[in-house]
Amino acid sequence: DPQKYKFRTMRQNLIDASDVLDEQIEIFTKIIQEHYNLSPNQFSDPTIQSQSEIYTVGRIVPDSPTFEGRLNTESIALETSRILGIGRRVRLDLSNIKELSLFCGQIVGLRGKNANNENFLVDEILSLPYPDAPVSTEEEIKGFQENFNNETMKVIVTSGPYFSETNIDMTPLIDFVDKINNQVKPHVVIMFGPFIDLTNPLISSGSIPTFPNLKIQPKTLDELFTKVMTPILKTINSQIQVILIPCTRDALSQHASYPQDSFDRKQLQLPKNFKCFTNPSTFQLNETFFGCSNVDIFKDLKEVTKGGETSSRNRFDRISEHILQQRRYYPIFPGGTRNVKIDKEKKIFKHIAGADLEVPYLGLTEFVGNVTPDVMIFPSEMPRFARVIQNVIMINPGRFIKQKGGKGTFAQITITKPSLEDDKLTKMENDDESVYLHNVWKRARVDLVST
Amino acid sequence: NNIDALQPLETTISDMERFKDATTLDLHCPNCSSEFPFGGIVPSNHYLMCYNGLQCKNCEKIFSTIQLTSQLESSIRSHISLYYAGWLICDDITCGNVTRQISVFGKRCLNDGCTGVMRYRYTDKQLYNQLLYFDSLFDREKNKNQEIKPLYHEGDPDFPTEKLNDSSIRALSEQNRELFEVNRGVVQKYLSDCGRRYVDMGSIFEFMA
Ligand SMILES: [Zn+2]
Ligand SMILES: [Zn+2]
Repeated sequence: DPQKYKFRTMRQNLIDASDVLDEQIEIFTKIIQEHYNLSPNQFSDPTIQSQSEIYTVGRIVPDSPTFEGRLNTESIALETSRILGIGRRVRLDLSNIKELSLFCGQIVGLRGKNANNENFLVDEILSLPYPDAPVSTEEEIKGFQENFNNETMKVIVTSGPYFSETNIDMTPLIDFVDKINNQVKPHVVIMFGPFIDLTNPLISSGSIPTFPNLKIQPKTLDELFTKVMTPILKTINSQIQVILIPCTRDALSQHASYPQDSFDRKQLQLPKNFKCFTNPSTFQLNETFFGCSNVDIFKDLKEVTKGGETSSRNRFDRISEHILQQRRYYPIFPGGTRNVKIDKEKKIFKHIAGADLEVPYLGLTEFVGNVTPDVMIFPSEMPRFARVIQNVIMINPGRFIKQKGGKGTFAQITITKPSLEDDKLTKMENDDESVYLHNVWKRARVDLVST
Repeated sequence: NNIDALQPLETTISDMERFKDATTLDLHCPNCSSEFPFGGIVPSNHYLMCYNGLQCKNCEKIFSTIQLTSQLESSIRSHISLYYAGWLICDDITCGNVTRQISVFGKRCLNDGCTGVMRYRYTDKQLYNQLLYFDSLFDREKNKNQEIKPLYHEGDPDFPTEKLNDSSIRALSEQNRELFEVNRGVVQKYLSDCGRRYVDMGSIFEFMA
């Protein structure tokens, strides 16, 4: 519900924040109990000594509150919920575990024993069940088939910045609009911010030139968008739906925390084929569920790994599985921060940006309806990718333009029409009517194209 | 809660007191790259407010409006982002634990045995006051009446050598009316979303009711 994102910012309450952090552990305690068919009384407090093996649930945290830097297998603790262990934390002994990937903020289920009152010896990390995939009824599928004239649905995904850190040149954006209008002709374009990146040194240091083509110069960053970028975006063919998703580094949004309210289309002076969505947001294009989140989880999630099998896997695959298992678009806590060194000798750092988590509202970043989207998009500064993980298509479209102005990339997704005849949809027998898994991963193709 | 109930008194405290912890608006000259704090129409060795805007004393370049507003907005946003980094501090001075970890009992200190109370190091009140400070820099009346928090104290190495006289401050406040209004608009954009302000207004209303 987008209305829920319209809260006022800059007023976090510590108690509300801790309520949400406690609730996350409680939610997963139920999920784990149900999935493993365990009764609540098989779960107990891992922070107190006991002679028998127990099951427990908690959050992965560092073993010292002042711990900085990267965790290692010797420095990990488990935080309990208020109910299970009155919020106490206990150091984990992971020497019995051969393969693992853990990160701060992760909710885990464990089996083990606290024999010495000092640490909890873990015998098993219970893998969390993946949430269900979305389904459609036969009738819905037939409706979706009629929606498009051509065979496939074409969606283009771009992620800002849209101009470089060396000059405010809009040629790449103009060329892109020309390309989608005349060559690609997609049904939908999803554009992620930042459109005006406050951490771009040109913007933060005020090094903004005059625009010779403009009679009246922009006076603010909002006007820089409406006078310089809006006229270009307006030339996108009005038959193409454009979805804009903000970023907390974007000057266009006064809501500077995540979860983040949508832009105001009218303020941006954009026509009606533009839709402004929240960050994160989940929405349906035809039958396909899209999940979009614009905080750099693939950069921020720093795992502790152990074991050859785990570390030989692709890092993006491991992180993708974490996101799916945690059922949240940004399961890291505390969120990432970005600092710059302002004094090399004295090693003084200045905070410039971060995940900017609005902790009391993190509930809005959970998967809607406990269902995994068919396609998930997470713009990241890490190398672009498109991969299928647990039957979900995970995409990082990459930056539209490189820092110094070199060509970036965008993602082109084509999804063939859902058909009841070609066996690509999986029929799920239900009590009253049969429903179908979308299997978008079997019907889609993702290309990462140079801009 | 109790802290909020005290809010109406806040409106009676002076700007000097309210802004004592506010940090300066640091500007960068887009022409010569010199850096200096901006404090409204006040004496400075680095800049001059002239009838058509803000001028760098080092290279004599006059900032365009957006060259000033973009730096103001970036400053505001780095403050907001620092607030959201969520640093907490323990109020027991013998502990002084500073961390971004939050216990599921939010106010509990995570140091063993410490009974101190955790609170946000950068509070929403501080952030709100920081925004109000930025707002005051572009407030025509406050500039005219020379009510802006001073940038320098006597004895500071950078204490300005020249002074500004009252009548030119008044004239410059009027001549920069539009520039100041645009900048205030940028601050208002964030004040309008600031939860703290509504607490302030809400409790004033309750106080009068
Ligand atoms: Zn200069
Ligand atoms: Zn303490």
